[in-house]
Order: sequence, then C-alpha cells, then structure tokens
Amino acid sequence: MQKIRVWDPLVRLFHWSLVAAFIANDFLTKPGRETHRLVGYTVAGLISVRLIWGLVGTQHARFADFLPSPRAALGQLRDMATGRRHVHVGHSPLGALMIYNLLLTMAGLAASGYAMTTVAFFGVEWMEELHEALVVWAEMSIVLHVLAVVVESRRLGINLPKSMVTGYKTVK
Amino acid sequence: MTESRPMVDLPSPNRLKVQRDRPFGLIALILFQCFCTAFFVYDVTRDLDEGLTSLFHMLPELAATVGLVIGVVFEGRSLVALLRRQARMEKGLGVASGALNDVMEGYFRQWALTPAEQDVATFTIKGCSIADIAQLRGSAEGTVKTHLNAIYRKAGVQGRSQLVSILIEDLMGAPLIGKEKPAP
Repeated sequence: MQKIRVWDPLVRLFHWSLVAAFIANDFLTKPGRETHRLVGYTVAGLISVRLIWGLVGTQHARFADFLPSPRAALGQLRDMATGRRHVHVGHSPLGALMIYNLLLTMAGLAASGYAMTTVAFFGVEWMEELHEALVVWAEMSIVLHVLAVVVESRRLGINLPKSMVTGYKTVK
Repeated sequence: MTESRPMVDLPSPNRLKVQRDRPFGLIALILFQCFCTAFFVYDVTRDLDEGLTSLFHMLPELAATVGLVIGVVFEGRSLVALLRRQARMEKGLGVASGALNDVMEGYFRQWALTPAEQDVATFTIKGCSIADIAQLRGSAEGTVKTHLNAIYRKAGVQGRSQLVSILIEDLMGAPLIGKEKPAP
C-alpha cells in the first residue's frame, strides 16, 4: 500500500466546481435567464484558470504531464483487453483524451452561450443549435467519463473518484 | 520454474509489423458508430417527447439503431481480439509467432482461458519467470501463480514444459498420442 499525492487542491476544486456548474445549467437554471448566464461565465472563468494552471501548476496538473498520445492510449486499451495492471500516477492516456475533449466542449458551451447574448448573434438559429448540440455532446462525454472511471477503478483496484476528493491515490 | 531470464525488448520484425497495423481506423469507426447510435437514441427520445410515435417513422429508426449496436458489438470484439494479439506479439515472440500464435489462440479458446490467463499463458510459454510476468502485468506474484494453476488445470497439464510441448506437437504437425489434430 502506497499513498501518492496526485491532485492539488486547485485541480480538485476545478473538477467539482465544473461538475456543479454543468449540473446547474443543464438541469436547474432556465436558458436565457440571469443565473444561467452567471453560471456560464463561471464555467468560462474555471476553464481559463485551469488552462493557466495547466502551464504553471503542480506536476500532474500540467498539460506536459498528460499530452495527448494515441500510442499510449492504445497501450492502455491493450492493458484493458489483457487484464494487465499498469497504474498511471497522474492522468491515464485515455483519461487525458477525455479531459481535452471536456475542456474544449465546456469552452465551446461557454463561448456559444456568450455569443447568444451579443448583438451579432442574438436570436441567430445556428448558434442556438450549436449550443444545444454541444450540451448533448457534453452529456454523452460525461456518461462515458463516469463509466470509464468506474471500469478503471475496478480494474486497477484504486478508488479514482475518492482520489479526486482527497487528492491521494492509494496504490497497492 | 524460477529461472530468471531478462526481458529483452529488441526491435524484431514482429514488433515492426505490430506497429504498422495499429487499429486506429477500427477505433475511429467504433467511435463514429457509437456516436451515430447515441444520435438515433437521442432522436427517438425527442420524438417520443414530441408525441411523434407513428410506426412508419419509428420503425426504421429503431432498426437502424439496433443495426448500429450490433455492428459496434462485433467491431468491439474484433478490436479486443486484435489488441490481445498485439499484446502477445509486442514483446517479440520470436520466429514462429505467426503460426505459434494461431495455435495458441486456438487452444486458449478451447480451454476457455480468461483474458488475464491468456496473457499469463503467453508469457509462460515464452519462458518468462513468475517474477517477470508479475512485473510485466503489474500484478502480485501470488496472482500470477493463481492464474498459472488455473491454466494448467484447464489445459490438463502438470506444468510449463507439458504446456509448451502441446504447442510444439501441433507446430510440428505430428500428433504423438494418436489424437486427431488439424493440419498446420
């Protein structure tokens, strides 16, 4: 048993704030209302902070620590197919791809949402459709993300959700 | 069986071949079809919300969704098979990897080995020690021993040498015990 410090407080705060903000705007607030906009601005702020933190943050928070690598992602798929158990201390290669996907999607949501409030795009139909399509894409991605976390937690014997709360991974 | 042979990771012809057929095309196709499936499911739920439940409208969409799901399942299976095959070959199985691999795959299926057991069996046949296998697979030595016991039990052999000789017999195409075996 080995306890490794992986996620710094900012990463964890970012993660769960984004979760809360997405749930709020997807299910609780009404599109077009003030709260929906405020939550959207919060998302934009969160993404900006995370992007900066990805350059100057702690080791596993930095983008350099989880650059997208198809080769490594394939290696992880191979591990899953053969039941091998190689623990990635920071983000796993497949996890990294999902993070970039979610960062881009959330940024796209915030941007298209903001665009709808501007004079140039107010009431423009394709912008609304883009915003809605991104919501569906985000929902699909989140479902996949949660499923993958459950599968990987079971395969590796590490409680990954817990590590996003405490910041520590307990590796056997 | 505790002799320890260092794992040498040389760039063999197999390795190069493995690198050439990376299944990115297949993975892209699976992802695309998953996306299509999700789209149809989303569309169907939206139609239901709007009360558009005419049979002529729903039936083709449902059929398309079912077709896509079946396609994804089949492609997923072949992807897993491909990944396992590559996992077997990546460390350089040596000269006979093509034929040996086919024979091994056949037996693994016949013995109903689990994916983990197949992986351990491959490493064992290659001559890796238990410690090597544990390291390669990132698991405890006890776990590897458990897998090995299951492999030997399912194959009905006493140990590694008997396991290997089953494969060698097949590769040489000379059934020694009068058992019918497919031609190599």
